[in-house]
Amino acid sequence: MNDFKALSEAISKGDINKAVAETKSALEAGISAQDILNQGLIATMNEVGDRYSKGLIFVPQMLRSAKTMQECTKLLKPYFQEGDVVSKGQVLMGTVRGDLHDIGKNLVSMMLEGAGFTITDLGVDVAPEIFVEKVREVEPDIVGMSALLSTTMPAMADTIEALQKAGLRKKVKIMIGGAPVTERYAQKIGADAYGSDAGSAVTRAKELLGIDRSEE
Amino acid sequence: MGSGMPHYRPPTRSDIAQIDRTGRRILECVGVRILDSTYLDILRKAGARVDCDEQRVRFDGDLLDKVLTRAPSRFTLYSRDGKNDLQLGEGGVYFANGGRVFRILDMKTGGYRLTMLRDVANTATLVERLDHIRFYVIACEVHDMPPRNYHLNDFYHAFNRTAKHVMGGCGDVEGARQMHRLASLIAGGEEKLREKPFVSVITNPVSPLTIEMNTLNVLEFCAAHGIPVTCAPAPISGATAPATLAGTLAQMHAEALAGIAIAQILAPGARVIYSAVPMTMDLRRMELALGSVEMAIMNAATVQLGKHYKLPVYASGGITEAKRPDIQAGVEKSISSLTVAMAGADCVRLAAGILDSGNSISYEQFVIDNEIIGIIHRMLAGIKVTEDTLAFDVIEKVGPGGNYIAEDHTVEHMMTEFFYPELSVRHNFDVWEERGRPNMLSRASDVVRSILRENTEGLLDLDLTAEIARTNPGIYSI
Repeated sequence: MNDFKALSEAISKGDINKAVAETKSALEAGISAQDILNQGLIATMNEVGDRYSKGLIFVPQMLRSAKTMQECTKLLKPYFQEGDVVSKGQVLMGTVRGDLHDIGKNLVSMMLEGAGFTITDLGVDVAPEIFVEKVREVEPDIVGMSALLSTTMPAMADTIEALQKAGLRKKVKIMIGGAPVTERYAQKIGADAYGSDAGSAVTRAKELLGIDRSEE
Repeated sequence: MGSGMPHYRPPTRSDIAQIDRTGRRILECVGVRILDSTYLDILRKAGARVDCDEQRVRFDGDLLDKVLTRAPSRFTLYSRDGKNDLQLGEGGVYFANGGRVFRILDMKTGGYRLTMLRDVANTATLVERLDHIRFYVIACEVHDMPPRNYHLNDFYHAFNRTAKHVMGGCGDVEGARQMHRLASLIAGGEEKLREKPFVSVITNPVSPLTIEMNTLNVLEFCAAHGIPVTCAPAPISGATAPATLAGTLAQMHAEALAGIAIAQILAPGARVIYSAVPMTMDLRRMELALGSVEMAIMNAATVQLGKHYKLPVYASGGITEAKRPDIQAGVEKSISSLTVAMAGADCVRLAAGILDSGNSISYEQFVIDNEIIGIIHRMLAGIKVTEDTLAFDVIEKVGPGGNYIAEDHTVEHMMTEFFYPELSVRHNFDVWEERGRPNMLSRASDVVRSILRENTEGLLDLDLTAEIARTNPGIYSI
């Protein structure tokens, strides 16, 4: 077992420079990229996630750690072969048609990114046909839709319908969220999951893709 | 304290001068009634005009000024562990709970009962753990022990459960002696206690304009032994004071100054706090109204009157007529505690735990009031403006359309810029439902349970406890 204490501390604190330096020296010391990723980066992020769940650290601290981890991961990328899984999954995110609110969606995107997902963010006021077009192009594992207004919520159903018509519905999992959105509404319009806040969005996303701790 | 501290000063400077003049005129012309011939003698020798038949003592302006200048404008209410030493007269505002209630709302049963010795220990434990309540006032009467050694016991259980400064009433000089003997033992000697008194004593004159022998005995004992002391009048507008706020304040001011003057005559330089509890009644049915807006205004003015003499001030806020920790309690407590804090009181007492016009307490209310006080402290701290907090660099770095969530600047400042309530529910709707629909009161109950579950041991070390038990056989366990 390698000693990742200093790296782990730097990630916990969100100290990007220190963490990057530690990652470099681990690589120079001949430790495998896979070990650094699993035993160093991901193990630490799991601890950070635990501390967040217990209320010991705040969202910005967790995201800061996630950002630090991402910087370290970039250094490891050249060492991975084709087929090595680095990303947990590809997520296409957008605020639905007619809705210009993006704070919630951005927060969820950042949390997912921190948890190891790759995000393609379509921004706000995204029409169903744009979702369809981008699903074809990006081939994501998950489509995430956000709405803040009860009046724009129906655009979520429209988007699902459009994906169905385009024959893409079965190729992706659909996750929705936003202030007026509920679990019941998600079921009603045929979404696969509903996240009540940014933290639970990450949990739901992992569940959708069958990722659990033991696989990490 | 932030430079942006807002000040609330209900009477203008010239109004305060008028109230002060009237208070002095009351002391000069009407005087105070002192119900003890020994003290009448002492005060006559000190230069007061004494009428023995009337038992009346009148203070001329010159004498008053001469003795009041002996009162220190700054001193410290010490804690035992040094973590909560309260420097009075330095601009800080320190909140405490209130004392001597007889009833408790017991949330376990939902009913009310008489207070017991264990309630002293439990409320002291709560205050020890609640950060915004900076010192402990012995919270309640003890109904499950005989009167002998009463103050040995209530002070002992307070000291054993909190290292914060403890304040309490002593009843008579025998009670003060019990407290002093015990505190000296804990301090490691009388001189050490005098040097850093971690306990102080509350006395009260009787409005209107009367001071009893017991009060004077305790005042003298404390003043002579270096124990900080208050002599806090509690006049009630329309009942034991005029129905006008200005009239109540003038009479209260006279009573408060008399107490301080007498303490300075008995022991020059005595650490006395200018303290008062101006109160109101609802004259519709002559019911106490300690949560009234007028009481809040008068307590703010009390601060101005004490500061007029550059004395540390002890005023009251956070009292309510509400019988439960309810909406009325929240409204009245928030408004009065904020008002008195914004007036710049050194100490705000009665500000935690109190319900039912100061007759009842509830453990949950201590926790809720702690949060209200936390909010007020944040408010007093104001807005810090520096090159760093203005944040130009990070604004430039993030630029249009970005966000600040994971910036260093955010992480660096997020702990200190914001007050994080423990009781206010900020969950979104779904999370709120998932967590069983919590509210402030349910969360306060959770906090009470966990504090009392996790703090069952006394704080005094075992050798000391054994020594106290050996020399003071009258201590009851809880």
